Amino acid sequence: MLRYLDHLEEWLIAFLMGGATLLIFVAVVHRYAAGVPVPVLQDALLKIHLSWAQELCIYMFIWMAKFGAAYGVRTGIHVGVDVLINRLDPGMRRRYILFGLLAGALFTGVVGSLGANYVWAIGHTDQTSADLELPLWIVYLCIPCGSYLMCFRFLQVAVSFIRTGTLPHHDIAHVEGVEEPGAAYPIADDLHPADLGQRGER
Amino acid sequence: MTAGLRWVGLLPAGLIVLPLLAFALGMHVPTALIIFLLLIGLMLTGMPISIALGLTVLTYMFAMTNVPITAVALKLFTGIEKFEIMAIPFFILAGNFLTHGGVARRMIRFASSMVGHWHGGLGLAGVLACALFAAVSGSSPATVVAIGSIILPAMVKQGFPTRFGAGVITTSGALGILIPPSIVMVMYAVATNTSVGQLFIAGIIPGIALATMLGMTTWYRARKNNYPRLQRATWAERWRAFRESIWGLLLILVVIGGIYTGIFTPTEAAAMSAVYAFFVAVFVYRDMPLRKVPKVLLDSANMSAMLLYIITNAVLFSFLMASEQIPQAMAAWMLDKGLGVVAFLLFVNVLLLLAGNVMEPSSIVLIMAPILFPVAMKLGIDPVHFGIMMVVNMEVGMCHPPVGLNLYVASGITRMGITELTVAVWPWLLTMLVFLVIVTYWPALTLWLPQTLGMMR
Repeated sequence: MLRYLDHLEEWLIAFLMGGATLLIFVAVVHRYAAGVPVPVLQDALLKIHLSWAQELCIYMFIWMAKFGAAYGVRTGIHVGVDVLINRLDPGMRRRYILFGLLAGALFTGVVGSLGANYVWAIGHTDQTSADLELPLWIVYLCIPCGSYLMCFRFLQVAVSFIRTGTLPHHDIAHVEGVEEPGAAYPIADDLHPADLGQRGER
Repeated sequence: MTAGLRWVGLLPAGLIVLPLLAFALGMHVPTALIIFLLLIGLMLTGMPISIALGLTVLTYMFAMTNVPITAVALKLFTGIEKFEIMAIPFFILAGNFLTHGGVARRMIRFASSMVGHWHGGLGLAGVLACALFAAVSGSSPATVVAIGSIILPAMVKQGFPTRFGAGVITTSGALGILIPPSIVMVMYAVATNTSVGQLFIAGIIPGIALATMLGMTTWYRARKNNYPRLQRATWAERWRAFRESIWGLLLILVVIGGIYTGIFTPTEAAAMSAVYAFFVAVFVYRDMPLRKVPKVLLDSANMSAMLLYIITNAVLFSFLMASEQIPQAMAAWMLDKGLGVVAFLLFVNVLLLLAGNVMEPSSIVLIMAPILFPVAMKLGIDPVHFGIMMVVNMEVGMCHPPVGLNLYVASGITRMGITELTVAVWPWLLTMLVFLVIVTYWPALTLWLPQTLGMMR
């Protein structure tokens, strides 16, 4: 069940990324192609309006940002100021890391609820977006959904941290097509909290 | 673990509790002070910067204002509802398509065929290759890994000391955020409403100048120590190396040319460069099979979402700052103290260098720019000049401990300790600091090109 959620999340944000890129590419090509005087083609192209492309691209990326931020909690990509806590003893560090994870869950939970309220409120009006004329409540639905998902991810990471003392680590320095001599040990960078076992290596 | 550090460990907790307590007890503490102490306290606990910013705003809205708190949720959406911001995910995607060992190898071959026969040999080629690869990939740590893990073993084999190579690659890898297209510049543009196009064009000459200065340091030290040089490449070899690397380098041209001629807006240019990079990686260089594309999309989305999430919360935070009129108060205070342009720029540089000790560039720019920018405007500093100065400052921060990202990555690939690496880096770091002073106090270096091209008054 959770595996399906993971995959859904991954496919959604990868699709939004690729889709938005193609969309803007097509819109730009269309803008210049429609200016080329080719008899039948030009008429056909002029009939297609892509003025909504920009708005759709923005919405796609905002959706990607909300769900991607949740995915980012799972992959440990979010950066913080970890200079201090990475030098504390494990007991203290454990408390701060847990505090941070729960604070994340609190913030995203609150924002999710505020967003849900807001979406509920405009769901009863017929406000639509400027160019696409989508109902606004659908557009804003990403706030509660994305935030609640992110809240869930924070709790998930917190539980696994309590159990194992490890956090998900994002590999900042992975490059395809390079034999990495550095892969032998993880790169600790003080922008992310270190696992409990990692003290004293620096 | 010293006893001192144990007390330091209580610092974040104290910084969070004290302001809240002071407020709850109804003491007369300036709101600005409460906000900043709370933010610093939350950040020091190591939680994501975006969450720390968001929680500060939430606490402030909840406890200290009558602004309906629902506005927060709405702002989280409308704060990034700008087409300019969307250049960031596109540039990240474009960079990720070309962040590949194959591209790095082509850049190195081209660079060493051009400058390898001078003093410094492979080291000098490393500077040039880093500059080119960093501009195309847009990521400093990726540049250090890609160029470093190919060129460093070759340098050691030729008889260079590991320290020398590590110093060159660590610092040159940071060139990417100055040479356009640069994501940090887009961040600055978003935070201050400056033109992305002007910033990109303005970054060209300082970027070339810094690369040249790093190259000169390399050249000088190599000549002094008589390090090995490569054989001079023939023009036929150079032409071949150039033809191979040109496909990657054209990405820079697509972006700069497209924006300058007005064919694209910056965001459109970013999207076009992403499609172009896809095409080059999959069909021209064939480094990447088609089945790897979803992975690249996912990784890019992951990185972009993280940055967009910081932007969202930073926008919230700057909204708070504006409604408390903190930048205006700071500007008034500084003008009152008779702080001139020279002193202000010095202050900004020191502040940013300090911030560079604990945070990464995007977060610093997003938090600091909205606070410092209004003051700079009051003092009559050019917004583009101020932006380029901030970006150069960020580069320095990536190369020194404790948080220099490049340093950590380089320590990973060279297996040198951070302390040893810091010593290895210093000649180039010093060069960068000198360059920072030049950029700060010589605006013409930055502004000449965009003004000459008629992009600015």
